[in-house]
Amino acid sequence: MKRLVTSLALAASLIAFSATGVLAADAPSAGPSSDDLLKSATNTEAVLTYGMGPQAQRFSPLTDLNADTVKKLVPVWSFSFGGEKQRGQEAQPIIYDGTIYVTGSYSRLYAVDARTGHKKWEYNHRLPDGIMPCCDVVNRGAAIYKDKIYFATLDARLVALNRETGKVVWNKKLQEYKDGYSNTAAPLIIDGKIITGNSGGEFGVIGMVEARDAETGELVWQRPTIEGNVGTLNGKESTVTGKINASWPGDMYKTGGGATWLGGTYDPETKTLFFGTGNPAPWNSHLRPGDNLYTSSTLAIDPDNGEIKWHYQTTPHDGWDFDGVNEFVSFDLKKDGKVIKAGGKADRNGFFYVIDRTNGKLINASPFVTKITWAKGIDIETGRPIYNDDNRPGAPATADAHDAKGKSVFSAPAFLGAKNWMPMAYNPQTELFYVPANEWGMDIWNEPITYKKGAAYLGAGFTIKPLYDDYIGALRAVDPKTGKIVWEYKNPAPLWGGVLTTAGNLVFTGTPEGYLKAFDAKSGQEVWKFQTGSGVVGSPVTWKMDGEQYVAVVSGWGGAVPLWGGDVAKLVKDINQGGSLWVFKLPKA
Amino acid sequence: MRYALRHMGLAGAMFAVASPALAAGSPSDPLNSVMWEALRDQYFAGAPVVFDTAVKVTAPAAAEDTRAVPISVDATALGRVVEMVAIADLNPFPLVLRYHPGTAAPYIATRIKIQQATALRGAARTADGVWHVSGVLVDAAGGGCSAPPTSYAQKDWADHVGEVQARLWPADPEGVARLRLRIRHPNDTGLVDGIPAYFVETLQVEAQTPGGSPALARIDSLEPVSENPVYSLDLRPPPDATALVLRGRDNQGGEIRATIPMPPPGSKPAMRPAMSPKPAEQPWSVGQ
Repeated sequence: MKRLVTSLALAASLIAFSATGVLAADAPSAGPSSDDLLKSATNTEAVLTYGMGPQAQRFSPLTDLNADTVKKLVPVWSFSFGGEKQRGQEAQPIIYDGTIYVTGSYSRLYAVDARTGHKKWEYNHRLPDGIMPCCDVVNRGAAIYKDKIYFATLDARLVALNRETGKVVWNKKLQEYKDGYSNTAAPLIIDGKIITGNSGGEFGVIGMVEARDAETGELVWQRPTIEGNVGTLNGKESTVTGKINASWPGDMYKTGGGATWLGGTYDPETKTLFFGTGNPAPWNSHLRPGDNLYTSSTLAIDPDNGEIKWHYQTTPHDGWDFDGVNEFVSFDLKKDGKVIKAGGKADRNGFFYVIDRTNGKLINASPFVTKITWAKGIDIETGRPIYNDDNRPGAPATADAHDAKGKSVFSAPAFLGAKNWMPMAYNPQTELFYVPANEWGMDIWNEPITYKKGAAYLGAGFTIKPLYDDYIGALRAVDPKTGKIVWEYKNPAPLWGGVLTTAGNLVFTGTPEGYLKAFDAKSGQEVWKFQTGSGVVGSPVTWKMDGEQYVAVVSGWGGAVPLWGGDVAKLVKDINQGGSLWVFKLPKA
Repeated sequence: MRYALRHMGLAGAMFAVASPALAAGSPSDPLNSVMWEALRDQYFAGAPVVFDTAVKVTAPAAAEDTRAVPISVDATALGRVVEMVAIADLNPFPLVLRYHPGTAAPYIATRIKIQQATALRGAARTADGVWHVSGVLVDAAGGGCSAPPTSYAQKDWADHVGEVQARLWPADPEGVARLRLRIRHPNDTGLVDGIPAYFVETLQVEAQTPGGSPALARIDSLEPVSENPVYSLDLRPPPDATALVLRGRDNQGGEIRATIPMPPPGSKPAMRPAMSPKPAEQPWSVGQ
C-alpha cells in the first residue's frame, strides 16, 4: 500500500507538466478489465484470453512476421516446467505486462518474465491420490482478470491467485472429484463472471456450465446440459433444462453425460456464450433411445442468467463417442453479398458446421475428413444427420450372458474424433478456417453396463486404427462458404495441438514429432519449423513486445492419444516426454 | 537437556556482563550459530535485539523424531508482548511461525520439523520495539524437512485435510485459559520430490460473545511446523464468551474452520507450564 501511495503522489506532482504516459508507467498495473478482455482479439501487445479473443478465432493482426520474414524467427529462451511430472502440455500461454502465465501438467501454474524466461513464481496444486482424469493430466490454460489469474485443477477446483505474487486468493470446489469429475479447460471471464464447464464425461456425470463472481468465487448460476435437470440462479433453483424425459428414457438423464469439458467461447456482438457438450453416457446407445438432448451439441447461453437461447445437436443419439464439445468460433460469413453472423465448428463426427449464431440454424455442413461412415451427410433443411443405420454398433445380448458383446462395426472417424480438443483458427483475411484434423477409424462394439458412481460408464469396447499408411494428422484449410478444402498439410502422427493464424498470411501449429511449424495461409506451403525436443500439443500465440513480434508455445508430448490410441499409440510410443515453454521472436534488425 | 541448560546458563552469565544489551552494536550469539547474523538481519530487520533469558525456550536436547520436535516459547516474564517468533537456524526454512498474541499471554508451543542439529530460538517483541531472543541447541539426525509425511500412507488423507481437534481448559484465577489445537494437514514443505508445498498459513482464534467476535490471537504458521500441526496457546477469553471460533487457511486457499466449545463447568484449569504429553483423560472435543 505504501508503494501505491508514493507513486500516486509522484504522479500528482508530475501531472501538471507531464504526459499521461509517465502516470501509466508509475502506477501499479490494475490489470485487464472486462472491456480489455472483450477487446482482446485486437490487442497485439498482450494475449489476454484463451482463444486470443472471446470469439476464439486465434487470429493476430500482426504482420511483422510473414511468409517471407518467418525464416528469421529464432528462439529467445526456453523454460522448463521442472520436476518429474512430464506429461501432456496442452496449454495456451496468457501474456500480459511482460509476464507469461502458463499452466503445466498436474495442475501447475507458472508466471515467467516474457523478456528473459526468468521464473517469477510457480503454483503447484496438491492433488489428492484419487483423481480420475480420463485423458491425461493436462491443463489447457489460465484466465486473467484485474489483479488475479485463475485456473482449474484436476481435482475439479477453481483457484484464483494474485498474479503478481502467486499467492492463492481463493480456491473453490467445482465438483466432487471422487465421482469422476475433473477440470482441464481454460476458464472464460465475461463481465466479472468466471465461467467454467466440467470434465468427467466417461464417468456418467452431468454436464454443467457454471458462472461465479470472479472476485469472490461465489456461484452465480448453474446450467446443467442434460434435459430434466434443474439450473440455479443466485442460490435458488431457476429453470429446468429442456423438458424432462422428452429425449431420455426413465432416470437415465440423471447420469446422462454431456460434460462441457472443453470450456466455451463468447460472442460480444450477440452477447452469447457457446458451450459444447460431450457424449451421452453410457456409450451404448441402445440403452437410451431418443436424441439424448443436449448431449453432443452446442448450447448458446445467456451469460447473465444461464438460460439456454438455442441449441444445435451435431450428433443426436450418439453411439460413437462423438462429443460435441469442440469450440464454436464466431465469424462474419460473407456470402452472396451479405454478412451473416455465423459460427464455425469442426465436430468430432467429421463434419464442419456453419451455423447462424443468432438462432442456431444450420447454414452448411460438409466433411473435413476423407472418410465418414456413420452418416451419409447432414440434411441442411432439418439440420439432422442422415444416418447409416448399419454403422451403429449393435446392441449387446441382454441378461447376464457371458461374452454378451454386440455386433462390432468399423466406423470412421474414430472416437478420438476427426478433430479433438485442439482448437482451430479462423483468418478473416483469407476467410479460411485452419482445422487440425486426424484420419482414423475404429472397431467399436457395445457391452452390458450398469452405472456405478465414480466408475467409468462406457458400455463399449473399441480399438483405433489409422486409415492411411503415410499419415494420420492433416491440417486443413476449410472455406466456410463452400465447405471445400483449399489446402492440406499431412503429418505422420496425429495432430493434437492448437492452431494460430496471423495477418502476415501465416498459420502455426505443432506436431507430436516435436516441431512448431509455420505455413503460408493461402497456399499451405510449409515455410518454417523448429524442433522443440518433445511433442507439441499446446496452442501457439503471438504478440508484440518492445517493437518485436514474439511467438510462444509449450512443448511436452501426451494427451489422450498415447492412452487411448490403440494401434496409433504404437506409432507414437517412442516420442519422448517433456514440459517446457518456448519463446521465439523476429529480431528487429 | 544438559546441553540446553548449560547454554542457557552461559547466556545468562553473558547478560550479567553485557546488560544493558541495548547499547550500541549487536550482541554476539550465545549459541554460537553460524546463521545468527544472517537470520537477525532477515527476521529482525534493523530492530534492536537483546539476548534475554526472560524468554524461555523449551525443547529436547536431542530430537527423537526430527519430523515432530516439541518446542515452547514462554515470554510471560516480559509482561506485554506484541509479537513472537520461533526460528530453527539450520532449517532450509528457518522461520517456524510468527505469533501475534493479541490479548493472550505470550506463550506458544508446537511441534516442528528440523533438518539437522540446530539452534532453536524463540523471540518476543515488546511494545518498545525490542526483540528479546533466547534459545537452545537441539541435537538431531538429519532429514525432518525432506521426508514425506506419514499421512500419505493412508489413501484417504485428502478427505481429512482441515479437520480440527481442540480442547479448551477453564481459565485460571488470572483469566488465562489453555487452548490446544490439532489440525489434520500434511503440512508439506515442498522439499520432497514431487510433493508441492502445502501447509497451514494462518490461524486466528476469535471469541463468540453476545456483543461480537473479538479476535484473541493469530498465528502465521510456516513450512517447518510438523504434519498435523499442534499448537498450545494461553488465551484470555472474555467472560461472556459462549465458544471460541478458529478460522484459518492453508497456502492453497483451503479453509479451516472450527467452533470450540467452552469447557464444561467444574473442570480444572490446565497445569502450567504444560507441555505434558497427556494433558488430561478427557477426550478432545471435536469441532467442525
